[in-house]
Amino acid sequence: MLISRVADHCFWFGRYVERAESTARTLGSTRETMLGAERAAPISWLPMIIVAGERERFAELIGEARAEDGEIVQNYMVWDLRTLSSLHATIRAARDNARAIRDHLSIEAWEQINGVYLWMKSTDASAEWERDRHGFYGRIRRGMLLLTGIMRSTMLRDDALEFVRLGSVLERANQTARILDVHHHAITRERPHVVLDTAMWLGLLRACAGFQPFMRRNRGRVTGEGVAEFLVLESRFPRSIRYSLASARQRVEGIRAPDGPGERSQQHLAALRGWLLERGPELLAEGQIHELITHVVDEVHACASDISSDFLGG
Amino acid sequence: MAQSQSQSQTSGGGGADAFAGYRPLPDTYDELYVPSGPDGLGRPRANMSKLLDPLIRLGAGELAHRAELAHLALLNQGVTFSVYSDSAGVEKVFPMCPIPRIITASEWDTLERGLIQRTRALELFLADIYGEQAILANPKIPTDIILGSDAYLPQLRGIDPPGGVRVHVGGIDLIRDGKGTFRVLEDNLRCPSGVSYVLENRIVTKRVFPELARRCRVRGVDTYPTRLADALRSVAPGPDHECLSVVLTPGVYNSAYFEHSFLARMMGVMLVEAADLFVDDDKVFAKTTQGPKRVHAIYRRTDEAFLDPEVFRPDSMLGIPGIMRAYAKGNVALANAPGNGIADDKAIYPLVPEFIRYYLDEEPILEQVSTYLCARPDDLAYVLDHLDQLVVKMVDQAGGYGMLMGPQASKAERDEYAVRLRAEPRKFIAQPLIELSTTPTWIPERGRVEPRRIDLRPYVVSSPEGPWVLCGGLTRVALVEGSYVVNSSQGGGSKDTWVLEDDDPDEPEAGGTLIEEMIEC
Repeated sequence: MLISRVADHCFWFGRYVERAESTARTLGSTRETMLGAERAAPISWLPMIIVAGERERFAELIGEARAEDGEIVQNYMVWDLRTLSSLHATIRAARDNARAIRDHLSIEAWEQINGVYLWMKSTDASAEWERDRHGFYGRIRRGMLLLTGIMRSTMLRDDALEFVRLGSVLERANQTARILDVHHHAITRERPHVVLDTAMWLGLLRACAGFQPFMRRNRGRVTGEGVAEFLVLESRFPRSIRYSLASARQRVEGIRAPDGPGERSQQHLAALRGWLLERGPELLAEGQIHELITHVVDEVHACASDISSDFLGG
Repeated sequence: MAQSQSQSQTSGGGGADAFAGYRPLPDTYDELYVPSGPDGLGRPRANMSKLLDPLIRLGAGELAHRAELAHLALLNQGVTFSVYSDSAGVEKVFPMCPIPRIITASEWDTLERGLIQRTRALELFLADIYGEQAILANPKIPTDIILGSDAYLPQLRGIDPPGGVRVHVGGIDLIRDGKGTFRVLEDNLRCPSGVSYVLENRIVTKRVFPELARRCRVRGVDTYPTRLADALRSVAPGPDHECLSVVLTPGVYNSAYFEHSFLARMMGVMLVEAADLFVDDDKVFAKTTQGPKRVHAIYRRTDEAFLDPEVFRPDSMLGIPGIMRAYAKGNVALANAPGNGIADDKAIYPLVPEFIRYYLDEEPILEQVSTYLCARPDDLAYVLDHLDQLVVKMVDQAGGYGMLMGPQASKAERDEYAVRLRAEPRKFIAQPLIELSTTPTWIPERGRVEPRRIDLRPYVVSSPEGPWVLCGGLTRVALVEGSYVVNSSQGGGSKDTWVLEDDDPDEPEAGGTLIEEMIEC
């Protein structure tokens, strides 16, 4: 049992922590992909902006044409406090939510998020950003993973932790879907340029921490459809959409009191999972990835609204 | 930097002696040093030298390093307060001087008895003034000053609080005068804050001064949250196992939010805001993820003016409509009780010794500071004539705001203040300037230890069984040279307060709780 307002902070804390990890990973892997890109033509960082849902604001504040400049995009996605999607703003939002639920977090968990937040504000962070970009993204990614691990190993298994995890897995489903969506053209193109698109797919897997798991599952055979199927439907990969939704459903089941609120969220998540298992393989086979992802993103959003009105006083 | 300092320490002696040249202030009681010799240079008090020795041996470089460690620990823990005057959301660390403030066992014994006595009398006064009002028949008690005070809330008369307790948590501020005598400066019976710093400071001291902590046997402070939780449960209506206690906070932007969250965490109870609670059928409920849950006890850290818009401030958007009805029916315990302001009003303070005699038939154990009530014409005339010797305070202000430090103010400031005094004398009291005691304090920008003035706020937790006093309390220190104002909002800091287990710290192995045992939190 939790105060609804507190549950809301827990939920958003989980979402922001997951988002910071995902943003740091995507920025890092995009950068590595760019460094290794064989194409002669300038490559746009625009997909990075689109994944974050920042296309309009970036166009307005910075100008869409400047999305070709990786430094400008990275600066925007890391430091710009005019957007809630930058790493700095996301970490700050995570820490603000953590401060509101300090009495529920373990002291180690608080110190970890507060430590990352203080570091992000310090000159140490900007110095590392200049000196070692790879290390910079890695530090944030690891900082958030460590936080997740600390919470798992030091906190009571109660509703506070379940709401944090619920926020985290929903955000994860959303991130994986969006990352996949902006690259769907590479997968569905009629005559793929093998070398380039393989690099793109591998970058896509890396952005979802799925490179090694994918390779193990597919014994090194890389195809666009294979990557898409893995990220959408793989039941054992913790960042696949299917896995994330199944986890969300379990969280809601655990949170719900007998006869208490939550029925709508539970049913909605179950319906989305059913749809995914039934229509998913079909849509993938038809190359309709964009349609599939659009449905998933919309429905995840709707599930979050249900959770909010069922539990969070929204 | 830190590395090289700790190396120099291990190689024996941390450079310059931070205590060399320590001079106690004239006419002021220094708690650890006495002046010796014509040049005013100090030497440690005989009973303190063994305790101080390891500190003095550290040297200035190492002390600076330890002070920095203490600051970092507080920052990482998020032990911060928000500053009203700064832009929203600015958090600052309440500066902590790593050198502890030391109270001997015999000093503490007297203080503890005095604090219990005073709290009992104040509790009885509140029960009386919101009940029979028998004390008003006493000719020594000025009825008009009590009943005419804004802090007296007549609408609460006749309401018996659950468990009969009104002062669940009291903070009674003490100072030491030039002779070293402890005196009560003021009572805080509404919602005294600061206890989280007491507990956090202890954790930090153990971390940064393990060698000192190992040597002294210091009484523990870590049972406070348990005591408070017990006190709340003991007055909550309904069976013990069903009791749901909550801490009520104005929210994350409140300057004391850290403390609210800290206490909820340490007591394992829910932290709520007013909007999380509602009243139905004269009972209080929390809005939870499992639907409404009945709340039995509320440790409120909100001002009572914003508690219930039905009763106090109809214009207020804050608060929980109907909560006073629930309270009046005995369906919820409120800690502290609304209406307590009448007992800690600055104009009531001079009457407290009389309360002790009247209700307990005892002589007051603790001294207090002689006080002029400007509401009385004779007192007002005296105060106006002696403004350059007096400290004048507004009865309804706290935190060091709105006061005049006569001896330090300019003539123009005093003249301006006199105009306000004449206009509304009821709003002011005056006291002679007390030379607050000093204790050695680390001054980072000078790289050495200097005397700074301190006060003490002990915390008293009351249940139907009576009061219990937390050992020590919050020592606040005026970090600004020459200042008498210790409030955090005015450049004050804090110190860990050590109450010694016994007065012969020579035998650290003789049993008792060793402070080096870490608090789990």
